Amino acid sequence: ATHLSEEDGNARPLRDYAEALEMWTTFQTKTQALSQSLSSQLRLILTPTQSTKLSGSFRTGKRLNIKKIIPYIASSYKRDKIWMRRAVPSKRAYQILLCVDDSSSMLPSGGGGGSSSSSSGRLALESLVMVARALAVLEAGQVGVLGFGTDVFVAHPLTDPSLASSSHEAGARVLQKFTFTQDGTDMVRLLRATIDHFADARLVSGARGGGNQEDLWQLALILSDGLVQSRDHARLRPLLREAMERRIMVVFIVMDDARESKKGHSVLELKEARFGPDGEIVIHRYLDSFPFPYYLIVHHLEDLPGALAALLRTWFAEVNA
Amino acid sequence: MDQPMADAPAAQVKVTFTTTEADLQLPESKRQLLVPADIRRYGLSRILNSESMLDTGSIPFDFLVNGSFLRTSLEDYLTSNGLSLETNLSLQYVRSLIPPVYEASF
Ligand SMILES: [Mg+2]
Repeated sequence: ATHLSEEDGNARPLRDYAEALEMWTTFQTKTQALSQSLSSQLRLILTPTQSTKLSGSFRTGKRLNIKKIIPYIASSYKRDKIWMRRAVPSKRAYQILLCVDDSSSMLPSGGGGGSSSSSSGRLALESLVMVARALAVLEAGQVGVLGFGTDVFVAHPLTDPSLASSSHEAGARVLQKFTFTQDGTDMVRLLRATIDHFADARLVSGARGGGNQEDLWQLALILSDGLVQSRDHARLRPLLREAMERRIMVVFIVMDDARESKKGHSVLELKEARFGPDGEIVIHRYLDSFPFPYYLIVHHLEDLPGALAALLRTWFAEVNA
Repeated sequence: MDQPMADAPAAQVKVTFTTTEADLQLPESKRQLLVPADIRRYGLSRILNSESMLDTGSIPFDFLVNGSFLRTSLEDYLTSNGLSLETNLSLQYVRSLIPPVYEASF
């Protein structure tokens, strides 16, 4: 059973459908080229044409199989299939969750003339549309969308047909659910829910005879302004370790709108002040205790395809090493 | 599952400092700050005076939030105004008009 409720969509505020549809089509048009760029970069990373593993026993090959050497000599050089070759790469299957921050810090607060054209929320939704489209084109696997704030909700189930496939309707229904009105950002709850959701999804895909479980890759992309209560940073570390042990890759994409960061409002500059045990003031950079090992900061939408591809390339290189 | 922490750190709230006092401007990169939510006028004043901020020693400051003086903790202000910790509070600082003698009782 999943910890996420899908029926509570009725209880949560919804954006007007016509507005959401308009947003989806606008964002799609705006991000068309970027989406194509992302999908062509991801194609190379997600679907390798060359296996990294050498295996088998052949008369000729790339590298000697050490285990075959003794039998080879013992057989008076008759059992001569002592070489390994690169195997044909197995097809990978992906389950990808796009986790979008629905908390109210995603919108400029205080009503100080903050237009919705300049906000982390807008950037996150544009990124969501761009990435979802790129993944749909790739047909990389299942793509779901989660929303989070004080709680976590499913905006688009992994098992549903791909977002952005034919009609704009499914996309608009997802955007409807993001109103940025949740009055908390519970990242601990999000990570717990993501790990559990992926565990369930792995079972389901195994039960359907999805073949070799080794080839299922699970990836969570968190789209957020990066503002998490610092006291939660320590509680996130064991969850991030658990995700890693379960071979779930978690990428945190910090939405840091350039128009805001130009005014010195960047999360990169953000400091935090505390009082030490003797009442002394300690000030340090907020990101210094940020617990996510894989994160990138996006000031402009145009930064995202290249930055995300580079990060995933690094990660795949590390896990294949 | 959640281990109780011996010294649970306080919740934080993001504030933006503003001022109309020409001689007390902060550089733009220092105007936004995460502070403990249970902080009051005195703690905020100390932070502003600190070396990493204005480096002004001990000027007592008052803080205006939406036009009225902050007389409670930020947390209490947020609660009584129906706001959450997600709010980026704009704090306008001014030199305090409260006589230093009265200071101690705050
Ligand atoms: Mg938030």
